[in-house]
Amino acid sequence: MTRLTFRGLLHSTVLGLALTAALPALAETTIVVAVEADFSRMDPAASRTWNTFKVVRHIFEGFVEEDLTKGGDAVPEIVPALATSWEISEDGKSYTFTLRQGVTFHDGTPWNAEAAKFNMDRMTNPDFEFFVPTAPGLLSWVFMDLAGYEVVDEYTFRIDLKQPNAEFLRRLSAGGSGAPRMVSPEAVRTFGNDGIEDNPIGTGPFKFVERVVGEKVVIARNEAYWNPDRMPKADTIVLRGIPEVATRELSLMAGEVDIIGTPSPDSIETLQAQGAKIVTGKSPMFYVLWINTKDPHFSDVRVRQAVCMAINREDMAKFQRKGFAVPTWGILNPGGPGYDPAFRDCEYDPEGAKALLAEAGFPDGFETRMDWTFGGGSDVNTKGDAEWLQRDLEKIGIRSSIEMFDNNTFWDMMTAGMREGTGLTSASWGESTFAWLDQVVTTTALPQNCCNSGYYENAKLDQLLSEARASASQEALDAKLHEVRDIVAADMAFTSYYAANSVYATGPTVTGFVLAPQHWIDLTGVTKE
Amino acid sequence: MNLVLFALGRLASAIPVLIGVTIVVFLSVQLVPGDIALSILGRMATQDQLEALRESMGLDQPLVVQYLRWFGALLQGDIGMSLAQQLPVAQILLPKIGNSLILMAGSLFLVLVFGFLLAVLSAPRFRSVTDRLVVALTLVLASLPVFWLGIVLLYFLAFKWKLFPISGMYNVINPGGFRDLIHHLILPATVTAASSIAVVARVTRSRMIDVLNEPYILAARARGLTRRQIVLRHGVRNTLPTFASIGGLQIGYLFGGVVFTEIIFNWPGVGLQLYDAILARDIPMIQGCVLVVATVFVLGNLVSDVVVHALDPRND
Repeated sequence: MTRLTFRGLLHSTVLGLALTAALPALAETTIVVAVEADFSRMDPAASRTWNTFKVVRHIFEGFVEEDLTKGGDAVPEIVPALATSWEISEDGKSYTFTLRQGVTFHDGTPWNAEAAKFNMDRMTNPDFEFFVPTAPGLLSWVFMDLAGYEVVDEYTFRIDLKQPNAEFLRRLSAGGSGAPRMVSPEAVRTFGNDGIEDNPIGTGPFKFVERVVGEKVVIARNEAYWNPDRMPKADTIVLRGIPEVATRELSLMAGEVDIIGTPSPDSIETLQAQGAKIVTGKSPMFYVLWINTKDPHFSDVRVRQAVCMAINREDMAKFQRKGFAVPTWGILNPGGPGYDPAFRDCEYDPEGAKALLAEAGFPDGFETRMDWTFGGGSDVNTKGDAEWLQRDLEKIGIRSSIEMFDNNTFWDMMTAGMREGTGLTSASWGESTFAWLDQVVTTTALPQNCCNSGYYENAKLDQLLSEARASASQEALDAKLHEVRDIVAADMAFTSYYAANSVYATGPTVTGFVLAPQHWIDLTGVTKE
Repeated sequence: MNLVLFALGRLASAIPVLIGVTIVVFLSVQLVPGDIALSILGRMATQDQLEALRESMGLDQPLVVQYLRWFGALLQGDIGMSLAQQLPVAQILLPKIGNSLILMAGSLFLVLVFGFLLAVLSAPRFRSVTDRLVVALTLVLASLPVFWLGIVLLYFLAFKWKLFPISGMYNVINPGGFRDLIHHLILPATVTAASSIAVVARVTRSRMIDVLNEPYILAARARGLTRRQIVLRHGVRNTLPTFASIGGLQIGYLFGGVVFTEIIFNWPGVGLQLYDAILARDIPMIQGCVLVVATVFVLGNLVSDVVVHALDPRND
């Protein structure tokens, strides 16, 4: 028998009070996430930027989804979402999706093949009443091979392609430049296309609550969500864009926000000392170096090779990002198809580079210019990168000036092609699909199209990329991409220098936040202790 | 009556200025390099898609036609649709204007109170230690860059000593009422006000020094008035028009200055919106923001003119 003591009584009273005080917190968990910029449009067919897709993918779903709930370094698995299964025809040109039954949009509209057709019309059919005019431009990387689509029965939907596309499912699950996700047809009919911005209604694990442009987006758990594995742990998530990195960091340390994207590498130690947890993951984003093949100096492949050999990538990754980066070579990015960490398009060899320059007729080096972007989103100190490269190049005799541009102006310049006198330029890119390579290395991307900005002409690559899309297996696809990579390396039209990790910091009590190698995140498992 | 006429006259003369503002705003955005269609459709768009969009937006029309269309819509309160959000610019901007005006009003309050106090404190004690300290203080205040001062105050007052919140206008999770607002307002208002306090204090101080050297002040002293009486009755009264004029001028500066402060403190006003719009190259939104800032500048000056007119003893 336990003795009732005064101290025991006191303990239980205090404990009881503490529990009562903790109750409201248990009843309602709100997680505040601060990313680097405000969001673009909520309508998935018209949305842009990787940050916006961090919101959109929680409200809306497509036929398939990338599983980002587990984190880790492996390329995320494609898992069923609004389709429970799919069949791909022998010739790889026809996808028959069996749709999930019993799913409703957040407004109660049932999900079925008609809803699928409505959304496909919305994204791809210019004659459709609710066609989104910007969708073809934003979504061409998904639907470039589209031939047609059809309602087979209430829960079966078929999409036909003009040629096989080995990445079709992965592209269906991605976003950032448009997102092929399903919007409630009833919501579109009621509010109109533009009305979706204030009434984004999908089937996802979170429902839209409120948006104040420039301030926040609030989403709350969808209690009727079909997937128990992805049922949100937090009740409400507030997503904010806080562009100033110091403010993001201080807000986290003061407890005003729970998760922040891209703290400055210099602040990591301070954040940790304050109890913050640093979460890092691989990212498909790497830094590509464009070389102007029309430039009188760089038109010689030996000079381009010398540039490649002059860059001390290992040190750059270590010091520029304080170790939150891996050095990269060539045109295939980590986290993308065909990436091989052992691949080298050159070895670091400043002496050899100097010799190559001399052989090319520049024993005393030459002067050139680097056009650079301040970047955006999770870019950090790109000017520092430019200065690093400037120093490395100077060691082999290439003396370069640096001109910095804001991101918009920069991409306009890239579309127009590299300027006369500019030898090198660089920006972050890379996706989990190879769609972006169509924009960078092909002849269709030559100026005035974006972004084969260094005037690199090799029609063989157009052919190979098209064949890569049409591959029957992942191995065949990777093999084609390796051919692309090797040709680009032999011509040394592009190289890369490092891939930055995704870095987030969370408050000490935040749990369940994981990063998969992708530009966006899954917040369903996140909560606070 | 005289005052009303004066105000109406100033208002009438502000109209051509405002029309000029619309032309400059419209043209300045045209001069920015870059392709609006490209920023809407993104890098993945083809040349044909870009052309089609330019045509549908009327971007292929002559500038004059584009301006007249834009101005016509503007007169009906339509600043266009935000390209980044596909929502009417006015709908997004209206609450932001309110938020920026709150921040500006808070700053203006600090500017007027501290600017005036510093002047009254220093001018009658010309070349004393107090005066020199005030002069030194204003020099420091005027020289501090906003973004630096903002981050330093954030670090010490908000982060280290936890006296103030770090960012935003209200607590994000549990928005409080007026007290929460004031609590969030103090730091950004102080940062915005800093250099204007210096300007107002310095100008008001020199005017008051001049006033206190006038013969009638000597006469007042001869009549046996104390220094306090002289400063309050004659010094302050005759300095007021200058004070109101320089204080009023700050309205525009403060409203323009909140751009920086809003980014540092994530204050959801016109400045932060402008910053987002520039990053997203959201042309109609940029035009809307600049137009608002310019209009507040013009109207602020108008108000200050009227106040100065009312305060000037010569107009009694």
